[in-house]
Amino acid sequence: MLNIQDIVFYILAAIVLFAGLRVITARNPVHAALYLVLAFFTAAGIWMLLEAEFLAIALVLVYVGAVMVLFLFVVMMLDINLDKLREGFWDYAPLAGFVGILMAAEMAMVLGSKHFGPERVPAPPVHSADYSNTAELGRLLYTDYVYPFELAAVVLLVAIVAAIALTMRRRKDSKYIDPAQQVRVKRNDRLKIVSMPAEKESVETPAESQGEQA
Amino acid sequence: MDAIQQMFGPFWPLVWSLAKIVAIVAPLMGAVAYLTLAERKVIGYMQVRIGPNRVGYYGLLQPLADGLKLLFKEIIMPTAASKKLFLLGPILAIAPALAAWAVVPFSSSLVLANVDASLLYIMAVTSMGVYGVIVAGWASNSKYAFLGSLRSAAQIVSYEIAMGFALVGVLMSANSLNLVKIVEAQSGGFWQWYFIPLLPLFIVYLISGVAETNRAPFDVAEGESEIVAGFHVEYSGMAFAVFFLAEYANMILISALTSIMFLGGWLSPFPFLPDSALWLFAKMAFVLFLFLWFRATFPRYRYDQIMRLGWKVFIPVTLVWIIVIGAFMQTPLAYLFH
Amino acid sequence: MLENYFPILLFILVGLAVGVAPMVLGKIVGPNRPDSEKNSPYECGFEAFEDARMKFDVRYYLVAILFILFDLEIAFLFPWAVVLKEIGLFGFIAMMVFLGILVVGFIYEWMKGALEWE
Repeated sequence: MLNIQDIVFYILAAIVLFAGLRVITARNPVHAALYLVLAFFTAAGIWMLLEAEFLAIALVLVYVGAVMVLFLFVVMMLDINLDKLREGFWDYAPLAGFVGILMAAEMAMVLGSKHFGPERVPAPPVHSADYSNTAELGRLLYTDYVYPFELAAVVLLVAIVAAIALTMRRRKDSKYIDPAQQVRVKRNDRLKIVSMPAEKESVETPAESQGEQA
Repeated sequence: MDAIQQMFGPFWPLVWSLAKIVAIVAPLMGAVAYLTLAERKVIGYMQVRIGPNRVGYYGLLQPLADGLKLLFKEIIMPTAASKKLFLLGPILAIAPALAAWAVVPFSSSLVLANVDASLLYIMAVTSMGVYGVIVAGWASNSKYAFLGSLRSAAQIVSYEIAMGFALVGVLMSANSLNLVKIVEAQSGGFWQWYFIPLLPLFIVYLISGVAETNRAPFDVAEGESEIVAGFHVEYSGMAFAVFFLAEYANMILISALTSIMFLGGWLSPFPFLPDSALWLFAKMAFVLFLFLWFRATFPRYRYDQIMRLGWKVFIPVTLVWIIVIGAFMQTPLAYLFH
Repeated sequence: MLENYFPILLFILVGLAVGVAPMVLGKIVGPNRPDSEKNSPYECGFEAFEDARMKFDVRYYLVAILFILFDLEIAFLFPWAVVLKEIGLFGFIAMMVFLGILVVGFIYEWMKGALEWE
């Protein structure tokens, strides 16, 4: 008898497999990227079934909410010529197939070995409804694993610097407004009052028109 | 009750959950409908007009008339568009706006899914709303839609960071990701609500909420006078209505979250008055009124000003305040955050 | 724990349905009179000049990349904020070092003008 968790797992697993397959077979790169979004989202569902609450939601937050937005920006703009991409397919097929078989073999060795499996790694005890996965993670991450945590900061710093160094191009031709400069402007920078001798009034000008002007 | 329960047998939890979901979604849709009327009325009076007053008494049936009209309009399918993605866009916009409501508590016991990481869940789900905008803009294959969706996407992600940082301050004070516990940590009268110790974060969160929902004065993504309507320029009929629903559902969600995290949720402002979900609704109505008031008052920001505000003002302010709270909690005065 | 997430799963499905239902209804009830002028992309009365999917400013990528990095920072800050009281001064200093390193990146970004829009 299948319980509800198993049913959900099989549905999610089927969606992940389908989405993963479509990522590599979809002709349109934007469709492929959107299938990847679906795959990530469903994978988060599977992690949730493993009770990895924080990681599952962080996967959606970081990968679906941020990384895939960048992916979509990139593929949306690139004019990818599909025929040109497909040109070298058969030349690379043997090498790609070899790498694929190698990866599958490696995974089989790890997953099928005596170090991994239901009998080596017992299922964790079922937690009560108010168990906080996040707090548990926090207690360990910032005390026992503080060194890798600080290393993560350095990796992120390198990523920030690299992203800016690689993509930052200042356009010389565009005109732009600096709000700080706008605010700082003083009257004297823009306005100059010069004293000039008054113009001589011509004698013919009627007195009424002067009155109107004033 | 028992008789009904027996009728459904093993499917009872499913049916019961669905009933509760409908009990949240249906009033929410009603609130969206009447928020559109309230918006037109409020802005009308602010501009010394009357606003809609022809359909029903005081225009009370106006939202219904609008909905029916949109229902009987053609859903135009542009020839250049990618058909499937064009139809997927509105669905991707509304699903996250509704799914986030699953964890919103209306009182200490009135909550559909009381999960531990409810705040994180809301952050994650609302961050998916940007896909509706991107997919709609790209699938329309129209320049205005594309420009609008790019602007909108960059704006949404920029303000999401400021919002996230503002929430970190709330978490530090409440020591929990659970929305029910966050509200309970603010009990004891309105001087215990987080908008006082976290005032800068409260302001940042509220303004980011306006920017996140692409509302005036941050509505460059729509910019009627520049890019006609932004990402949904090609949408008509019910497909447009779904975008509209999503925008207003998001507004109501932001108002609910602001009330829960900074204004004490369902707690009454004075200890001698009883706590009730009505307080939450009153606070939400107040925040929503602010949204409408902003729209009537402020002229539209320029795009460079929007990005400057998000990155150069809000992020430094929130970072500094997080450090201030963290340092404060290391001092003997930390008991003030109970 | 999982029983709490079951209504959320349902809610996501209901959310999708609320998106689909009005459009299906609109398709059934509304008229369908396609016309080549009506169905052409909107461009102020002109014929569309070229494909709308054009190249755009690299700045948008930069914003997206920086957003990923700051989003990760938030993901690190959340568990820290929840347990700050328990891990005390040590945890506080650990996070200050983390933030200090990233603020260096933020200042670099600022000085380089990556946050300027023109």
